[in-house]
Amino acid sequence: MAAKTKNLTATLEDGRTIEYEPEVIGEGGMKRVHFTPDHKSVVCFFKDAAVGADPQRRARLQSIVGLFNPTTDPDVGAYWRELFCWPTDIITKPEIGVVAPTYPANFFFSQDPFKGKEKQASWFTSPKLRRFLPQNELGDWRRYIHISTRLARAVRRMHLAGLAHSDLSNRNVLIDPQTGTAVIIDIDSLVVPRIYPPDVLGTPGYIAPEVLATQNLEVTDPDRNLPSMLTDRHALAVLIYEYLLGRHPLRGPKVNSVKSAEEDEQLSMGERALWIEHPTDQSNRPKDPAFLKVPYTQTGPFLAPLFVRAFVEGLHDPDLRPDAGEWERALVKTTDLLYPCPNPSCQSRWFVFDPAQKRCPWCNTQVKGPVVILNFYREGNRGQFKNDNARLVVFHHQRLFAWHIYDNQYAGERADRTPQAYFALQDGQWWLVNQSSEAMVVVKGSQTPNKLLAPGEGEVLHDGAQIRLSRAGHGRLAFIQMA
Amino acid sequence: MSESNYSFDNPTLPLAASPVDAGMRRLPVYLVLDCSGSMTGAPIEAVRQGMKTLLGELKSDPQALETVFLSVITFDTTARQVVPLTELMLVKEPPFEATGTTALGAALRLLSDCIDKEVRQTTATQKGDWKPLIFLMTDGAPTDKWADAADAIKTKKPGNFIACAAGSQADEETLKRITNIVVKLHDLQPEALKQFFQWVSASVATTSTGVANRGDAPVALPPPPPEIIIVP
Repeated sequence: MAAKTKNLTATLEDGRTIEYEPEVIGEGGMKRVHFTPDHKSVVCFFKDAAVGADPQRRARLQSIVGLFNPTTDPDVGAYWRELFCWPTDIITKPEIGVVAPTYPANFFFSQDPFKGKEKQASWFTSPKLRRFLPQNELGDWRRYIHISTRLARAVRRMHLAGLAHSDLSNRNVLIDPQTGTAVIIDIDSLVVPRIYPPDVLGTPGYIAPEVLATQNLEVTDPDRNLPSMLTDRHALAVLIYEYLLGRHPLRGPKVNSVKSAEEDEQLSMGERALWIEHPTDQSNRPKDPAFLKVPYTQTGPFLAPLFVRAFVEGLHDPDLRPDAGEWERALVKTTDLLYPCPNPSCQSRWFVFDPAQKRCPWCNTQVKGPVVILNFYREGNRGQFKNDNARLVVFHHQRLFAWHIYDNQYAGERADRTPQAYFALQDGQWWLVNQSSEAMVVVKGSQTPNKLLAPGEGEVLHDGAQIRLSRAGHGRLAFIQMA
Repeated sequence: MSESNYSFDNPTLPLAASPVDAGMRRLPVYLVLDCSGSMTGAPIEAVRQGMKTLLGELKSDPQALETVFLSVITFDTTARQVVPLTELMLVKEPPFEATGTTALGAALRLLSDCIDKEVRQTTATQKGDWKPLIFLMTDGAPTDKWADAADAIKTKKPGNFIACAAGSQADEETLKRITNIVVKLHDLQPEALKQFFQWVSASVATTSTGVANRGDAPVALPPPPPEIIIVP
């Protein structure tokens, strides 16, 4: 190995200094990247010298690193640090730049043939590229639900602060299907409200149709559409669709210009964009029926309507697109509908359980025997219970969490992730075992009505049984269904 | 739960069982390389190494792997297509031998024929390929009838054409007759050729990422390393 060259020193905005290695480890359109000696951080310099000179760009970086930074929150900062590679400091000398954490090691391939390469989403969502990956990198479908949830949550948090990412894409979100994690990178080009407009249009395939359709107008033209939170919503929907279904929502066979491939692409992703699964206009539907073997409807009752809003109603009407919070809630509720495929060689391994079909859409395996479903009800006025439009599909060792038990808890960044109960199949019977610190009440379905289910006790579940999951305020009632 | 509860159907179907080519456009990349006698020794060895590095880099780039199809044409006293337009992952390094004279005209005619034959046009019912990306590298003056072929290519504009005049014997004025984008390497040292191949690979990676963004504008190539000078 060649002798290490001497490390260089950069000065931070607050006067501290940081060492970095002289080798350039990466170079993109905007930045040049170096490691710090411990390789835990990277030092990025902007290639465009104007960045340093422009006070507004400086102000943008300052608000990203400071005011709008979710990763410094004392309560949940650690959670957000897993979802974002958020810059930590601004460098002023020798040039303007930022310090950011290194991506965690699991976002790089650890084995050949792609050892050391970043896990960009395309590796996993392109059917062509998936063929080249080792089997153990591919993950199962539940992992893609988790990846989508984390991405939606991260975008929800950014938008809450009023920040638009402006370039969400397969390249700026790294995903690891082995662990079901995702991380948003390249945070420094965020669009900060009232301080700095977007300086990139985005990445082909993820740019919103209205941005492409007006890209030839002057930036100052009021009809010109630039990246914003509304265009982030389009990119988010495209990414989730790709993660869950392994195809792009707008890339179909319809030809919109014979003049050139470039003009055709411009129209097909822009003003004439059309969802390949559009329910009435079938002109962009892939001709090979195998391509849509698993239609979007298989993503279940919470996600399917959002895809319709994103790609039918909202495709050319940005205000109608689902926001990141809606995606997050739908994904969280969909997690509760997942059921393990009984076919041991099914690659997707998990699917959204539909009591009317009882079939894995990926490998067509039928589920035989009853499946336990908990339908959740919330207490309204004076003991009246209302359907909460949420349910939990039960499998062996499925767990019950606080956000199932209480109607006012949410499986978000602040959730208590301690299991409160578990389900188990024993001698052909399904048991619910209370692990919480309070008694549950088997209102109906046990030999004695209103039987207490104390902590540590179990109860055999029957069709039609009703269990009050907590007697405290906001405790839900679960109706047991044997599907 | 016993296994007999379940019926198995099609057990090995992958997660994304979609057919591979649906809706995907290809980015055809043509490398046209001079293997005349003057390349003997270190220069031809540098071309071999450069090709190896180029394939290695592109074969681990997801965007390139998804869209790039590569062809290699070599020329000496005659011209031949040593790699027909092939999906990137399946491309094997062709053998390179330095011999003979510099049949640039024959190479340009062969290139034009190959593009006509291999690149899919967009029709009303079929999505065609992206505009091809063509890199031509030569180290000397042409020895055959080349002017007509150069004019024909310049008129036809079959793709984004980058020509490289390598070393002091190469004539950039000849190349200017083929395309407006001409770069120059001052010498044929292995380091310069290596830089050239790295730049080609970076250009292909950039183009495969952003090809849709620019409409009919010329491709935005990454800035070349100092060894490569853009001829104005």
